[in-house]
Amino acid sequence: MRKTAWISTLVCLAVLCAAPFATAGKLDDIKARGALVAGVKDSQPPFGYVDEKTNQIVGFEIDLMEALAKRLGVKLELKPVTSSTRIPMLGQGAVDIVAATMTHKKEREDQVDFSITYFMTGQKLLVKKGGGVNSVADLAGKKVASVKGSTSEQNVKKAQPDCTVISFETYPEAFLALKQGKVQAMTTDESILVGIKNSDDNPDAWEIVGDYISPEPYGLGLPENDSDFRDFVNMALMNMWETGEYQKIYEKWFGKGKKDYLPLTWKMELWP
Amino acid sequence: MAYQFDFGQVVSGEYGQWLVSGLVTTLHISAISIVLSLALGTAIAVLRLSKVRPLVWFSASYTEFFRNTPLLVQIFFWYFGSYNVLPNVVNEWLYKRDFEFACGVIALTVYTSAFIAEEIRSGIFSIPKNQLEASRACGLSFTQAMAYVILPQAFRVIIPPLISQFLNLIKNSSLVMTIGVMDLTYMARQIEAHTFHGFEAFTVSTAMYLCISLLVSLGVNLYNRRVLRVRSH
Repeated sequence: MRKTAWISTLVCLAVLCAAPFATAGKLDDIKARGALVAGVKDSQPPFGYVDEKTNQIVGFEIDLMEALAKRLGVKLELKPVTSSTRIPMLGQGAVDIVAATMTHKKEREDQVDFSITYFMTGQKLLVKKGGGVNSVADLAGKKVASVKGSTSEQNVKKAQPDCTVISFETYPEAFLALKQGKVQAMTTDESILVGIKNSDDNPDAWEIVGDYISPEPYGLGLPENDSDFRDFVNMALMNMWETGEYQKIYEKWFGKGKKDYLPLTWKMELWP
Repeated sequence: MAYQFDFGQVVSGEYGQWLVSGLVTTLHISAISIVLSLALGTAIAVLRLSKVRPLVWFSASYTEFFRNTPLLVQIFFWYFGSYNVLPNVVNEWLYKRDFEFACGVIALTVYTSAFIAEEIRSGIFSIPKNQLEASRACGLSFTQAMAYVILPQAFRVIIPPLISQFLNLIKNSSLVMTIGVMDLTYMARQIEAHTFHGFEAFTVSTAMYLCISLLVSLGVNLYNRRVLRVRSH
């Protein structure tokens, strides 16, 4: 009996240790499989969300992944991830790539690699119109809502040490706290705030204010230490920008006249 | 891709401070809630044994209601639900203060006191009924008989189950992070978000919870043996 327990423990350990090394080169894996498995958000309009009519995950990041899969000559498979599951899933090889509104931070480099920036935004404030908060300076002595798993909390704390940050599990809860007057503002990436504001019955009651509290460059999450795959993804992104394909996808989701209008004010890093 | 273990990053510097401040918040909210829930639980148990019908009904329904609904729902009820029933003036007054922490204390206290009331009730039942009758015959009022004769004996009996209620409360306190109270679990989540070193952050916070629980358990047992001179079972 004890022997069996020992053996099974050893087997489990062996599997745990071996799993991370099982993949040789992602690029070969993907081509052999004939599919690119992308981890995307499924409740973050307009980046990735479930379309009410078709019940399919759609969004800006999904179109971007579609364009990447086309360049790889394989079909695209989507797997929903959250802010807390995206890195473990990439590490275990459950997904090949993560396109899930993930800010490229130095500290995150330990566990995964990042592509070049494919979306540039910044942290701002969403407030009640006429509520007296127009910038980070006005937050002194007030409460601000943010969401766990994001870096917004520390950023706003640095910009205005004299405010209290309350972090919730999801964006709808943070927005509810704002609506109920429990907090005077909520803060996260502008691109996400636009989506939240427009999800309200009366979007005009809210406004996005202030300068960027911090820059938030989104990078695609890639497996650590696989430079062939990373090169391919970076080249593909630059190629999409140069050929205008990127701009077309951007216009589709953030263009003028669209619900989540957000002018394209930055340029992708293009290697000569 | 192999996972790079890095405990140093999690326990030192800024992140180490986060964990310590989270630990302090967890201890703070647990200590307040333990004291309050013990007091409230005792009151509810005594009410249930009184002879006044409405009080008995009240305490019975209190116990059943709060014992049989999920704590997380109760936390959201106090925090988000209270908005719609309280007058605006009260809401504004509350929101200027640490309403999140207060709601956490209320939810933990009310939830745990329902369990504690049941433990205490069973403790009181374990004391022979004629002791109450004898005390009353000696001229003590119901409250006096409870306070000086019955409850001191009942508490000795129920110390082991009470410890487990306290330990449950400490562990349940991790749920208050859902309304933004920055406790130990909250801080571990934050570190995970910042560094992706979730394994280390949660290992350290698990060890901290374990230490608190073991210390509480040890403390109450020592008190039991030294002060009350009860043999542990």
